Amino acid sequence: MISVRGLTKDFGRVRAVDDLTFDVAPGTVTGFLGPNGAGKSTTMRMLLGLDRPTSGTATVGGRRYAEHAAPLREVGALLDASAVHPGRTGRTHLRIAARTNGIPLARVDEVLDRVGLTGAAGRRVKGYSLGMRQRLGIAAALLGDPPVLLFDEPVNGLDLEGVRWIRSLFRECAAEGRTVLVSSHLMSEVQLVADRVVIIGRGRLVADAAVGEVVGAAGRRVRVRSPRADALARLLAERGEVTSAGPDELDVVGLTEAEVGTAAHEHGLPVHHLAEVAGSLEAAYWSLTEGEVEFRGEDAAAPEQEVAG
Amino acid sequence: MTVLRTFGRTVAAEWLRLVTVRSTWVLLVLLALAVTALGALAGYDAAQGAGFDAPARTAWDDARFTLLFLLFGLVALSCVATASDYGTGGIVPTLQWTPRRGVLLAARTVVVAGVSVLVGMLLLTVAAALVAVQADGLGLSPDVGASTLGDTALVVGSGTVMGVGLGLLTRSTAGALVTAIGLLVVLPLVLGNLPYETLRTLAEHLPGTGAVVVVFGEGPSPETTAAQGRLTLLAWAAGTLLLGGLRLLRTDATR
Repeated sequence: MISVRGLTKDFGRVRAVDDLTFDVAPGTVTGFLGPNGAGKSTTMRMLLGLDRPTSGTATVGGRRYAEHAAPLREVGALLDASAVHPGRTGRTHLRIAARTNGIPLARVDEVLDRVGLTGAAGRRVKGYSLGMRQRLGIAAALLGDPPVLLFDEPVNGLDLEGVRWIRSLFRECAAEGRTVLVSSHLMSEVQLVADRVVIIGRGRLVADAAVGEVVGAAGRRVRVRSPRADALARLLAERGEVTSAGPDELDVVGLTEAEVGTAAHEHGLPVHHLAEVAGSLEAAYWSLTEGEVEFRGEDAAAPEQEVAG
Repeated sequence: MTVLRTFGRTVAAEWLRLVTVRSTWVLLVLLALAVTALGALAGYDAAQGAGFDAPARTAWDDARFTLLFLLFGLVALSCVATASDYGTGGIVPTLQWTPRRGVLLAARTVVVAGVSVLVGMLLLTVAAALVAVQADGLGLSPDVGASTLGDTALVVGSGTVMGVGLGLLTRSTAGALVTAIGLLVVLPLVLGNLPYETLRTLAEHLPGTGAVVVVFGEGPSPETTAAQGRLTLLAWAAGTLLLGGLRLLRTDATR
């Protein structure tokens, strides 16, 4: 169990994390989401004792990370895959980790095998691709067979096979009763693998709920296109909530596809496109973090996903 | 008991960290070659009748000057071994695996300084032996040997502890090396030759001056004693380790 209570971190005048409180329960995969600069990595670093909180506490299993006698047996974490001495081999990197926590060296080969790095274990890390470094970091996280796992952007650099593998790894770990916290900017990935999400913006908690609840809150709607969109909008506005979604396009909330199609047919209004647009974690994320984004490009727009069929 | 066990594990890990990077071996090999060559040349000159004019002169006396080279080389090793963790980002996994920073500080200091002292004593003995085998009249007196190796332990030990402190303080290999060279070579040389009493006094209390006084038994002024030199070295070692340690213990683990 990860427990964060009133966690606050200031860097000079900048408040990176602001009175953050949430729990991450065992047996679940929890996505940790937020825009760039939202404070996700800082929160994870405070959990691991790398950064000191200005106030508040972050504990794992009821104790601060540094209070665990053999922390790798309690918490495995991948923060920055490139933070490895490039001159050491992958195997040596893990052997050092094992030594620090009294983990049998035989375990090093086990985790190398599990992450698929056995063949490259004797090579220097400077010759590793980003994906291989990610796998090495994941191997280090798994080394102590810990009940709690933290991953910061774990799919960065992984190929398709690697992404599928890590997805199943998260699910397996949760099924084994472990606590898994995964920070990622890839919403589709998180939606596929997470049971819950903790969303933060500008260091503050925005949402802490099951994925289904968050996605449901973003709402399903019907997208309809008609050359007589104005007339159709007036008609549908009597029965549901209608907004413009572009030239000749409307979004309708509160009606089904069938109801929209029937209404248009009854009034002789032509329809060129009619589809249900699913609520997605990405859409929910955008709506929740609007106003919480510190760095944004000009044309950032919330994407959406039409339901097939 | 838990802290002791953690310390033991961390020492084992720090040893592995030190010996599994190429820079450690490159520095040690270069240093061994340099000190061996210097010992051989000193022995050759001693065999030709050159060298110190001292009563009861031994091979240890002729090889003693190599201690300064050992100091520079091993301080460089300690700076690199400590600060490279920040340059590579390795400090993040290091503190993840050993979050008790005081334990990490103690283990790193013990391993780096301990290895350096042993290497220093070994190489100085090799240099003295090279003098002894070439110069017939110069023996390897056990008493002088013990005293010389004691000074080696003190000079190299305090110098490398200072290197660890500088590495932690600057968090930069280049920064630690430049600071060490400044304190050991440049500042004593420059300040000690200026016509300003205060700056000359300051130079006398720099670690480079302390090392020269311990190695050669005399300093820039007649009043400077070897005991003062030892004290100067120990004070710098303690001071830099304290400051570097405070930075490690009290601040965030930034790259």
